[in-house]
Amino acid sequence: MRPILLHGHTRSLTKVKYNRDGDLLFTVSKDAKPNVWFAHNGERLGSYDGHNGAVWDLDVSYDSKRLLTASADNTCRLWGVESGKELFRWNTRTAVRQVAFAQGDRMALYVTDATMGQPSTIWVVAIEEDLENQSDEFERKIIINGPKATVASWGDLNKTIYTGHEDGTITIWDAETGEKIKSVKSHDSVISDMQWAPDYGYFITASKDHTAKIFDAKTLRVMKTYTTQRPVNSAALSPIRPHIALGGGQEAMEVTQIGGAKQGKFETRFFHLPFEEEIGRVKGHFGPINTLAFAPDGRSFASGAEDGFVRIHYFDDDYFEFNYEEESLTA
Amino acid sequence: MAPSVNEPPARNWADDDDDVELDAANEATLGLPETVTVEQPDGTRVTTLWKINDDGKKVKVVRTTRMRLIKSQVNHAVAERKNNWKKFGEVAGIGAGPDSNSTSFAEKVFLKLSSTVKDHDAPPVEEEGDSLKKALAAAAKSKISCRICQGDHWTSKCPFKDTHTPLGDLGAAEVKDSGSDAGAPAGAGLGAGGKYVPPSLRNRGPGEAMPGTGSSDRRDDFPTLRITNLSEDANDQDVKDLVSRFGHTSRVFVSRDRETNVCKGFAFVSFYQKDDAQRALEKLDGFGYDSLILHVEWAKSNRD
Repeated sequence: MRPILLHGHTRSLTKVKYNRDGDLLFTVSKDAKPNVWFAHNGERLGSYDGHNGAVWDLDVSYDSKRLLTASADNTCRLWGVESGKELFRWNTRTAVRQVAFAQGDRMALYVTDATMGQPSTIWVVAIEEDLENQSDEFERKIIINGPKATVASWGDLNKTIYTGHEDGTITIWDAETGEKIKSVKSHDSVISDMQWAPDYGYFITASKDHTAKIFDAKTLRVMKTYTTQRPVNSAALSPIRPHIALGGGQEAMEVTQIGGAKQGKFETRFFHLPFEEEIGRVKGHFGPINTLAFAPDGRSFASGAEDGFVRIHYFDDDYFEFNYEEESLTA
Repeated sequence: MAPSVNEPPARNWADDDDDVELDAANEATLGLPETVTVEQPDGTRVTTLWKINDDGKKVKVVRTTRMRLIKSQVNHAVAERKNNWKKFGEVAGIGAGPDSNSTSFAEKVFLKLSSTVKDHDAPPVEEEGDSLKKALAAAAKSKISCRICQGDHWTSKCPFKDTHTPLGDLGAAEVKDSGSDAGAPAGAGLGAGGKYVPPSLRNRGPGEAMPGTGSSDRRDDFPTLRITNLSEDANDQDVKDLVSRFGHTSRVFVSRDRETNVCKGFAFVSFYQKDDAQRALEKLDGFGYDSLILHVEWAKSNRD
């Protein structure tokens, strides 16, 4: 396959995400300018001007009309996807690291960092249809005592909020009351990514302890573990095949070999989900891969790396036909 | 001009001749048949036309055309975005289509899915079954010879690429040296390659080896050289290529670390002919190979 190379960012990528329909790819990076691209050909549709610091996270509404971004300039902003205009801003005391629309897009959460004496906090705000009524008051505030939250997302039907922490703990919070429901420490190091399965029955986490794990949503039991030799920065689940993709890499200063000029050596690794075995790799990035996302139809995936590039890969036909021997045995 | 029924349906302007009337006249005078369009029962149109090409030959062109209307269902919102949304932000005002500043195609990458992937970092295992490939590779090999070391690889793939002095040239330098003033000290201090040779090793004919190498290892009673300061990248084939140009070798042993399989830095080469070994010693000692200077000497056997 020939990946489409997007070079619209001048600094390393922090997040790439497809919209629900899969035709748009949103990318944010440390360069303060989120971009949106057409996924089918990599054509840039636009950029969102306004942030003054690194943008750590993004989320897009179900109808692809609104975009939320979380930034290190102490703001969380709401944008009109089509117009590129900023619609609303929440000011915070510290950098905002995570942001997520709730299912239904009527609420959102954002997570502020634990710096300058402030504790790591999850803020839940209401999103109004008519932005005249939009207020920046929070509906709920959950203060995290202890290791700060590095990833956060809504659980099924917005009843719960799931967070991953910098010591490897996963916590479930009640979204209504803010109480901690459950907490499990399965990883040994900071959780860098958390992505849900489409049915919200399980999710996959990526951690700097060189592993990625699949957790059952209700019990937080570890269902699968995938081990690599490098810190895993991002993990994604294929919507149509029993595969997962992991992206990570060494810190830049540990790299001793200079890669070839045209193509880097950092790879996205594919694992078989139930068998936990590595089945293939895709090379190309010049720096550690920070973020991965499968397109909703599972026929392509996008990766963003430290090198400032985003690569959209459309799978060749043989990807869809690959099966283990055991898988092709008919019952 | 509205196309008449007899003209071909989708007329490419590039195919049009400049002077249509002239051609019509030509057709009439040269007696070429008229163009005919036939509708086939399966919906295709077959057009047959005759013309004279540049060589003056009569040419019959048969064009088969099928028109097909492809309908695909697209998500309404997706179509809306694709067709109607205007660009904004940094790309406002840029025309339709990917901008080459921000979008390009990268080099081809391959995702080869395999259930038996063990360790990608290890060198790929050769597939035994590819005998045809091997035969082809062998055939190709015999015709390729490197200008630098005369091995059977391309010059640009030569392991001694960085030496700048092809081994052939060393021989030429040798001839030149003997002819010039440097010829005088040749016998005294300089060896064949213009290199200093200590007195104990001078004036040796092919028959004389270093004292103490009389009784060699039983495994090889042949003159054996020891090559040290080999680079880590050297594998058996590289060393073989390196020495094979001096003569047939009975044994080439490259020492490897047991776990990492990397070359430990030295190798033993046994030649059939003593003078092959002598020439190899003279040429390879001090030879730059993969950024290290090789050191070659007669192998000391019967170590304690």
